[in-house]
Amino acid sequence: MKNHLPILIIIFPLVIAFLILFLKKYSVQLSLTGIFASLFLLLRLTSEILNGNTIAYHLGGWEGPMGITLVIDGLSFYFSFLVLCAGIYIIFYSLYEEKYSSSYYFFLLLSISSMLGVIFTGDIFNMYIFYELLTISTYLLIAYLKKGKSLKASFNYLIMGGVGLSFFLLGVGFLYALFGFLDIALIAENFLDIYLVHREMLMVSFALMVIGIGIKVALFPLHGWLPDAHSLAPSSVSALLSGITVKIGIYCLIRILYGIFSLEKYFFRRTGQIFLILGSVTLLFGATMALAQIDLKRLLAFSTINQIGIIMIGFGIGTKAGITGALFHILNHAILKISLFFCAGIIIKKTGSRLLQDLKGFGRREPFIVLSFTIASMGMIGIPSVNGFISKFIICSAAIEAGFPLIVVIILIASVITAAYYFKIIVLFFDSSETSVKITKPSGKEMTSLRIIFGYWPVYALTGVSVFLGIFPTFGINLLEPAVKLILSNFVP
Amino acid sequence: MTPIHFSILLFFIGLYGVVNKNNLIKKIIGLTILNGSTVLFFISIGYFENGIAPIFQKDMLKNPVPVMVNPVPQALMLTAIVIGVSVTALALALIVKIYEEYKNLDIQQLSKE
Repeated sequence: MKNHLPILIIIFPLVIAFLILFLKKYSVQLSLTGIFASLFLLLRLTSEILNGNTIAYHLGGWEGPMGITLVIDGLSFYFSFLVLCAGIYIIFYSLYEEKYSSSYYFFLLLSISSMLGVIFTGDIFNMYIFYELLTISTYLLIAYLKKGKSLKASFNYLIMGGVGLSFFLLGVGFLYALFGFLDIALIAENFLDIYLVHREMLMVSFALMVIGIGIKVALFPLHGWLPDAHSLAPSSVSALLSGITVKIGIYCLIRILYGIFSLEKYFFRRTGQIFLILGSVTLLFGATMALAQIDLKRLLAFSTINQIGIIMIGFGIGTKAGITGALFHILNHAILKISLFFCAGIIIKKTGSRLLQDLKGFGRREPFIVLSFTIASMGMIGIPSVNGFISKFIICSAAIEAGFPLIVVIILIASVITAAYYFKIIVLFFDSSETSVKITKPSGKEMTSLRIIFGYWPVYALTGVSVFLGIFPTFGINLLEPAVKLILSNFVP
Repeated sequence: MTPIHFSILLFFIGLYGVVNKNNLIKKIIGLTILNGSTVLFFISIGYFENGIAPIFQKDMLKNPVPVMVNPVPQALMLTAIVIGVSVTALALALIVKIYEEYKNLDIQQLSKE
């Protein structure tokens, strides 16, 4: 049992997803069971991973270049922990959002299980397969309500995502043509031999893969699908997409940059600067566009682009502090953005409108939700005592250490813009000029009190976690220490 | 022109279709060509001149072993084809829903609504 843990962690949600689809009953209980089981199995490995060990599992006992390897190291442990915890919150919140049928939970579990697959796999073609599975289930989740603009958003994402993954696959093809196997660790080991002979081919492969994943991460010129997809999906799905699905793209980027094309050792030493520039542009673009939005969820979607810029800057700096800050910001952004989207979902449900101008006076009706929203947006801006501040501070100090003072200026300017658009909303909440809030009853039946509890407690819990991490950041940083060590050692044993 | 060059050409044709066409169906056709080009690329990596199908037979060990094409890319592409088909099916289903909603398949006009 202990030997088969890596595959069991992926298989549990997958099997339960199909069970839900056929049983059509007890969907919530079953999906929670699946995710908790995976989380329990993952946590059994905690001590081993935090000591810096790596667990490799060969599927079907086939080792070496022929078989598929699942690898759990510090980095994949960190990301899978994030995905599973976020999954639990999202399932609880979905109970509040609407009475979803079993197919919703099926797609949710399918996406979570394929995310775990992307994270654990040590084989780059397998990574593509799981990534496609993940995106197919997210297309369906975005268009889940089957009406209006969400269909267009889903289609738009499908086109962009399809092109992106074709680029990625072509890049994988170039790698396969050069190396003859697809195992990430083996490719990294033999990289230098091929690099001395086929430098240009490797560059083409690198560019194709980065463009492919760049579409998924929504780097600046490739971001077109994100605002629609993230804002028009149901709120629980928006939280899933903004909170963790985008982070999976960043994870793949880390594996490619630091795993295969070992950023520090070879000719990609200057790639870091490309990512600094792309990150800065993404950051400023996201912040400026968010300022111009009048739709609450669309604003939050652009804010995601903004925060991704900061994460990319952290990786672009590439020093120990920069990577620590970026990884920590991934966790913080996931917590904050999931809680913001939950708040937005509750607000939209209560007021019946997505427009900012209709939010006037909402703070008097739901003071605690507005308080949570305020704390989470403080984290996004980077005000001390909330976790977002810590990671931004680490990235800024890393930028100064590495000799990029301009980056700090850009981050600060973007933070000011971020403050402008979040405070615009918070001021509106307490605007008393008109009490124009339409008291719309939630459509259909009266909500049961149990469902309301399920809607509210995830928000409060996430707010609590973000304040806790803001005051005691060492808990988060200890968790990602093995991951940072791994990235800096370039994965090659 | 080797198959590899041809597959790269197909890749760009598919990309042109996805980017430049306004009709949703034509976009999906472009996406399918894009997918097919990567499949062709992988298959032609594993192909050798005069290579035979990689099926092991008893008498092969006695004679000089004939050149076989590489089976690994073929196995990989089987998976990629299945995924490509499911993405296409999903896209067409979405198009049906979009048409029911808007009675229109032109992306320029759809984005205005």
